[in-house]
Amino acid sequence: MRLELHRVFVKRVTFGDKTGITDGVLTVNKKELLELISEDELLGKNLDVDIALPGDSVRIIPVKDVIEPRWKIEGSGQVFPGVLSDVETVGEGKTLVLSGSAVVTAGKIVRFQEGIIDMSGPGAEFTPYSKTCNVVLLLEPARADMDKHDYEQACRMAGLKTAAYLARSCAASGAKADKVEIYNHANIKEAMWGHPGLPKVGYLYMLQTQGLLHDTYLYGVDVKKILPTVLSPLEVMDGAIVSGNCVSACDKNSTYVHQNNPVIANMLKRHGRDFNFVTCIVTNENVTLADKRRSSSYATKLAAMLGLDGVVITEEGFGNPDADLIMNCWKAERLGIKTALLTDEYAGQDGASQSLADSCVEGDACVTAGNANELIVLPPMKKVLGVPEEANVIAGGWQGSLAADGTITVELQAITGATSELGYTKLGAFTI
Amino acid sequence: MRSEVILVTNNTELYSSVSDQKFTVNQKIKGLRLVEGTSLDVLKAVRGAVHLGARLLTHPLCGNLRPYQQPFRSVLIEERVEERETPCEHFDMDSVSMIESAVTIYQDCCDRIVKPQDLCEAVRKDYAFVDSELMRESLARYGVFLSDSMF
Repeated sequence: MRLELHRVFVKRVTFGDKTGITDGVLTVNKKELLELISEDELLGKNLDVDIALPGDSVRIIPVKDVIEPRWKIEGSGQVFPGVLSDVETVGEGKTLVLSGSAVVTAGKIVRFQEGIIDMSGPGAEFTPYSKTCNVVLLLEPARADMDKHDYEQACRMAGLKTAAYLARSCAASGAKADKVEIYNHANIKEAMWGHPGLPKVGYLYMLQTQGLLHDTYLYGVDVKKILPTVLSPLEVMDGAIVSGNCVSACDKNSTYVHQNNPVIANMLKRHGRDFNFVTCIVTNENVTLADKRRSSSYATKLAAMLGLDGVVITEEGFGNPDADLIMNCWKAERLGIKTALLTDEYAGQDGASQSLADSCVEGDACVTAGNANELIVLPPMKKVLGVPEEANVIAGGWQGSLAADGTITVELQAITGATSELGYTKLGAFTI
Repeated sequence: MRSEVILVTNNTELYSSVSDQKFTVNQKIKGLRLVEGTSLDVLKAVRGAVHLGARLLTHPLCGNLRPYQQPFRSVLIEERVEERETPCEHFDMDSVSMIESAVTIYQDCCDRIVKPQDLCEAVRKDYAFVDSELMRESLARYGVFLSDSMF
């Protein structure tokens, strides 16, 4: 498989007559975009679109998902297959990427499971989406008593439609890439014979699937209903994985993070040098113990069948999903497959509590994305997009988190992407 | 050996929603146990059952919230009918290990555990809703289908 990412760098977003990009300025026809998302009868009449740029004194709250605008300009299938587009396989050809921009969906769904993005100030240092030029969709349901599942789907579709619309419009107006990145990924036959002497390594990609509103979609299929399966890393770049999650903001793997998965990016970079990156294995995080046992056994069996020497394992969420992470870890290790785990921690505000809900002796190589319980004070912003009072109910906040002057005191848990368990975060450790 | 699936919960909305349904032949859930107390009290009730030989069907920890943040907890267990009241000879050691570990985690933060009555009605309903949502699939496995608009 070969995929070219045609990156057009976005330095600014503005409203204007025609949606397109010129000299790094992404112009959005607000009326046309509003008409597009208003097509959905599940959404209310008071929809709005706004812009939030890096450095602005702007707070977005409550954030549901973040999506990077992409559109396939060559090759089979189209972005977000099975959800927005047809189900045809993606991951080959050419895809236009509006790098540096993002679509942010904001609206109350499951209120304590949405997040905060500050575009400047101390909070901005903890979210990667303070560095993107954001097109913010302010959404509401058609009726106050609407079923939450329907509303979640409507919000998800509005975000995906907008992301595709922006990139498609730019492609149609002849946008040229500032940079072309070429990714190749060998088939299993070639991977088995390639790079003799290097260890064969896979990526065990755990997706949150605990139930409705805690779901992730693979080619439009609800992942909690799949047996673990193999997937090319290039398919992920074309939006084969879409977030439908309402989980804690800090470690919600947004659709943007799936599209830009840094584990995949770095494994591809080190492929052929440090190891032989054979494939991704996608698995789920279900609620019943029978499902947890079945999926962990099946996913590690696939790794063993492929003759992998090691797997990198990432999870989404914490608590109950830690049990899946640990089962995957010890089952792989006992099959002779080395593991490295990527997670975040909930170690209390003082950092002294047990930080993972589960553990095993085989889990001796673990990377942390940070302590989600760390406290942070977010000073007031000049402009708030959304509903600031939600700070009092978001997980990581409490009644009284929002002060009268607009200051918010919360744990990092409330900040979108602060402790991303795919490692898409500014937190980290460096050897000096 | 005859066994029954039991739902143990302190979520009154979920309890009512399940108990309102007729118990059909296909429905394997035969019992409901409402715990009037905290999420930790639910786990202690489950621990008591596990120590009498019950097996966990769902993981005792909640997902994606710190234990103290989610005031509701619901767990499905399978009890052997004959041994419900007396200790049995064979415990499910995985279940014992999991529930003991979960109780320890909850006890470590017991002074911060949110009680349902601590929350305003709207927020309390949101937490109850998510607790129910996370049980929806598991309940369906055992023949109990919650309506889409239970709240």
